[in-house]
Amino acid sequence: MLKAIRYILNFEWLAGVSTGAAKNVFLVLFVLIGILVLLIPNDYIFQGVKKRKWWLNLKLWALGDLAFIFITYYIF
Amino acid sequence: MLSGVDYLVVIVYLIGIMLLGLYFRKFIHSSKDYFLAGRALPFWAIGMSIVVSDIGAQDFVGVSGQAYRYGIAVGNFDWIGSVPAMLLAAFIFIPYFWKAGLYTIPEYLGRRYNDYVRTLASVTWIIFFAFNLGIIFWASAKLLNTLMGWPYWQSIIITAVVVGVYTFCGGLTAVVLTDVIQMVIMFVGGAVIVVLGLYRVGGWDGLVDKITAQGISFSDYFELIQPANTKTPFPWTGILFGLTFVMANAYMIGNQAIVQRCLAAKSEWHAKASMLWGAFLKMFIPVLVLFPGLIAIALYPDLKDGDNAFPLLVKELLPPGWGLVGLMFAALLAGLMSSIDSMLNSTATLWTKDIYEKYIRKDASDRHYLIVGRLATIVLLIFGVITSPISQYFEGIYIAIQTFLSFFQGPVFSVLMLGIFWRRTTQWGGLFGLLGGITVSALLYAFKGYLFEIEDPFLYVSWWSFLAGLIIATVVSLFTQPHPEERLYGLVYRLAERKQNLA
Repeated sequence: MLKAIRYILNFEWLAGVSTGAAKNVFLVLFVLIGILVLLIPNDYIFQGVKKRKWWLNLKLWALGDLAFIFITYYIF
Repeated sequence: MLSGVDYLVVIVYLIGIMLLGLYFRKFIHSSKDYFLAGRALPFWAIGMSIVVSDIGAQDFVGVSGQAYRYGIAVGNFDWIGSVPAMLLAAFIFIPYFWKAGLYTIPEYLGRRYNDYVRTLASVTWIIFFAFNLGIIFWASAKLLNTLMGWPYWQSIIITAVVVGVYTFCGGLTAVVLTDVIQMVIMFVGGAVIVVLGLYRVGGWDGLVDKITAQGISFSDYFELIQPANTKTPFPWTGILFGLTFVMANAYMIGNQAIVQRCLAAKSEWHAKASMLWGAFLKMFIPVLVLFPGLIAIALYPDLKDGDNAFPLLVKELLPPGWGLVGLMFAALLAGLMSSIDSMLNSTATLWTKDIYEKYIRKDASDRHYLIVGRLATIVLLIFGVITSPISQYFEGIYIAIQTFLSFFQGPVFSVLMLGIFWRRTTQWGGLFGLLGGITVSALLYAFKGYLFEIEDPFLYVSWWSFLAGLIIATVVSLFTQPHPEERLYGLVYRLAERKQNLA
């Protein structure tokens, strides 16, 4: 019983996943988040802004953050 | 040891920060000014404050110590352990918290669930912050002792007095705007040691060569993703499930010390932008706190305690007589003070708004609550100083903080997430989810020797306690009476908008 609990709690069921495949999981996660960011309505993004300018578009800020972290995980 | 010019740099820094903090005293006329800076802060100041509040002097010591022991995998905490969570906070949670005019995160839980949940969350955070203050004080004392030979208690009391004065007087405005200066000093000071260290080891290529040449056990020192069966505390499974999905979100969304700044933003856009700007700055933090650990492996591979790596580099790399040691020392103090001032102000806010105003004195004047907030700041400071020696019982300072966090973070995030995304979550679902999750956390931690294989399973504990909280809250909610939908407007994601669209 304890062995089964340890198997689950320690994620031993994922022990067969290579670090290369795990890295891809992280990279796909960043891409998915980027897609979700793009789907946010613009009206929601610009709430509280008096005059809309492209540099106030927070989607671009978020995509910049994601690009940075994607490259970091791609390299390391 | 510091030379004359170094002392001058440190003294100018301390006096400057204290005067700046005191200057903001004139803007404090109400409890809203004290706790939320009058809701007038711009995104750039909040973003910088979030970063510097999250990273303290203990990270220079603790993270570089972890990097010395395990390599760059510890950088996950500032990269994947921050950026996705800060995006989620920016676009989903923070706008709702800001629009609701909240002072505290437990206040949201109180409105969404009930007062039991609010009080439990608030008391949990108050206890955590109070003890965390002690840990941070001890970390700084250890650092100052190693660097300058100062007695532990002398370091703690000097730090406490400086921070106490400006936090007491200037409230959140002083905390955030001194943090801006602290962040600049911290970045410059941290960068000096990294640049000099890399120069000494022959640049990046020299660093990699020197470390990998030390043997097979160092071959994965430059891998962010560690195997699931690694003996380090950072297996990729823990990083993904425990850190990315739970602890990072819980920290960036449920941590009063972080979120309180965003609640003080001058508009909803500034509140969102502050998190995104903070996420950008946060990605540079590993360069400052992790690289020194790697450089130390290359230069001093036989250290017994990794936590001594950073202080040793400061001693050995910085040339005396140029004021650089003083600058580095000021950077460490900046990190330390910015963490302490945030915790003091946030804990005072939690105590005043969630406990005192709710249960002890309901209809007092605003001035009364302002005084209570200031007194709470002083009491907490004294408590933090007195309890600081307990942190010496933990092997690694950073792990100690994460262990305390993992105890509560998962369950709190589970009820926050269900609260904002699932309107069917009931008040009793929230309460039992939180209580059940914390119980599971405590049990897992108590029996960690039997249940887990890695050295310190705080990432796994946070994930499983989060899951437990989520399941318990869901099951209990399905069997209990939901709130009327009208009560949930502004508390559940796009509920009002969806209702309007249907109409």
